[in-house]
Amino acid sequence: MHIKYKLILPLVFLLSGIMLYPFIFSLWLSLQDYRLTRINDVQFVGFENFGFIATDQSFLNAMGNTISFVASAVIIELIFGLSLALLIQKLLIFRGFVRSILLAPMFITPIAVGLMFRFLLNSEIGIIPFYLLRFGVSLDWFGPELALFSIVLIDVWQWTPFMLLMFLAGLEALPKTPFEAARVDGAGRWLTFSSITLPMLRPVIVVALIIRALDAFKVFEYVFAITRGGPGNSTETIMYYIYQTGFRFFRMGEAAAASILLIIFILVFVILIVYLSRPKVIK
Amino acid sequence: MKKLKLSTAIAAIAWATISTSQVAHAGEINIIMEEVPDYDIVAKLTDQFTEQNPGITVNFDAMPFDAMRDKILTSSLAPSATYDVIIIDNPWTDEFARAGFLEPLDSLISSQDGYAYDDFVPALADISKVDGSIYGVPYYNYALGLIVRQDIFDSKGLAIPKTIEDYMSVVKSLTTNGMYGAAMQPQKGYKIMEEWKNWLYANGGELFDDAGNVIINNQAAIDALNQYIETHSQAAPPNSANWGFDEALRSVSSGKAATMLSYNWMLPALNAKDGMSGDLAGNFTLHEVPGGKSVLGLWSWGITANSENKDDAWTFISWISSPEVAKQRAIMGGAPVRNSVMNSPEVWEKGYGKAYYTALADILDGSAPLSSGNNAEELIEIVGTELSAAVTGQKSVKEALDAAANGVERAIK
Repeated sequence: MHIKYKLILPLVFLLSGIMLYPFIFSLWLSLQDYRLTRINDVQFVGFENFGFIATDQSFLNAMGNTISFVASAVIIELIFGLSLALLIQKLLIFRGFVRSILLAPMFITPIAVGLMFRFLLNSEIGIIPFYLLRFGVSLDWFGPELALFSIVLIDVWQWTPFMLLMFLAGLEALPKTPFEAARVDGAGRWLTFSSITLPMLRPVIVVALIIRALDAFKVFEYVFAITRGGPGNSTETIMYYIYQTGFRFFRMGEAAAASILLIIFILVFVILIVYLSRPKVIK
Repeated sequence: MKKLKLSTAIAAIAWATISTSQVAHAGEINIIMEEVPDYDIVAKLTDQFTEQNPGITVNFDAMPFDAMRDKILTSSLAPSATYDVIIIDNPWTDEFARAGFLEPLDSLISSQDGYAYDDFVPALADISKVDGSIYGVPYYNYALGLIVRQDIFDSKGLAIPKTIEDYMSVVKSLTTNGMYGAAMQPQKGYKIMEEWKNWLYANGGELFDDAGNVIINNQAAIDALNQYIETHSQAAPPNSANWGFDEALRSVSSGKAATMLSYNWMLPALNAKDGMSGDLAGNFTLHEVPGGKSVLGLWSWGITANSENKDDAWTFISWISSPEVAKQRAIMGGAPVRNSVMNSPEVWEKGYGKAYYTALADILDGSAPLSSGNNAEELIEIVGTELSAAVTGQKSVKEALDAAANGVERAIK
């Protein structure tokens, strides 16, 4: 065997152990009626689990909630992150200090953030509803209309700093020449931003979008800590659905089938994003 | 330096491996517990057990409720149990017994001198019986009762409501000037199910009929849910659609709500001087839930089938649940499960007074478990989700209960 193949073998073994085996086991699981409380009575059911999951109202609702969550959270984070990055880039004093403060939320564990906002927004003891009420605003942050939006806001609070970090690094790495040329040619701020900054920042934006979107698909902690998917199932996300099916109801076959459908969906999503964001080739 | 790093890494891995599979050795038992006040009492009492049984070391692993089910499952699926003694929430009993996770206790109970098994409240002891075998002995009850602000009821000349219709009209009349009649807990899942099922009982409803058919969408259930929604919209604090136990308790203890359906042992906590209620302490009283049939919750002691220390495990369980220790536990504030404890003048005097134990005995008499049978945990979650959807207007009452019935049919298969 050539030395280059020998060198790569340890990695292949490692990846097989930690990725390939669990994935193949999940595929096998998804074809069985596999319950953790009936481990000696596992039966092959073919694609029955997929049939059930694909038509299960709870799964479809969880998928819908997750897509709404990902789209809203990532778009708001993109806008806020980019705006803040542009502002901080222009900041002349306290730049390091402001950057450190703004990055802080990212370093808190999400379950702690969930618990923190559960109390901050609590209609009985929360400080936010208390002060809003003084202005005559009475909102049920975790009622059926607002609950998903509240979860989005919490995610925005925690993860906008990530976008900020990515865009700040991207902006600082941009060459100065095109901007100087634009200024010489008399381009305004908006024209410079839309015609130079944005197109040059496109690769960073795409990477930031993909990383954040993939991460947002995994949203679980806020839901677990605050709403448990309620009221009704208005905040049930796909990860919570899978957790509940697998680890509360012990239906591992169905949980595996739901996970595989999610993987397929995410793969299609990533391919689409990459395809749509290709730079247009000027002929 | 490299060697040091390598040996540190190996030590870390070895430690992680050991710490994840802490099987108890001979003369040592591991017990999984929920972090609640009753656990603190058990832990204190265990010092006496260790003195009397120097050959047995008791290790408690106390944790929040949410972490327990997974840990019990992984311990039970392993060749040797991590936990020799587990506490079992009543919806888990059938599921765990049928999965073969639990050791039958019949012969151990019958051969234990002076244990007085018949002294346990029958409604509680029966929860741990599956297919004629006993898989647990009662630890503490969490039966629901009606907790009211007696001072408000007295000042307005109101009688304690005995029917659900009376309760509805009383709490509506009490909702005025920033005071609300009922602090409710319509949070999705366990909480709403636990509360609403009292309303279902009051309407003569049940989850299943005698033949085992699902009847959760019959007229009694529809009436119960309509009444529940009406009361929540007219007598509960605003913005409380996602409230659970903590929020409802806080609302009552801070004087914003006049009644709540809650765990009977919250009464002593609400009435405790310098406790959560401040100046309101002493004004709360406990009664049977309107309709007279309350939802019963129970934690029981069980031994895992794959434990290697079953004898030591039973020595501990039979000691902590014995009549004498049960009495001590109740005096220290534990929720009683034995008739002899609830009828003991010594417990009345040193505990929370005769009125509390009498009210509790009335509540337990004729109460019924939150859910039983296979996959009860899943059933509760399914029904609780649909109930929440109806309360928040996402589904009509009929739609929600039909969906609940379909979900339950599938869950119990």
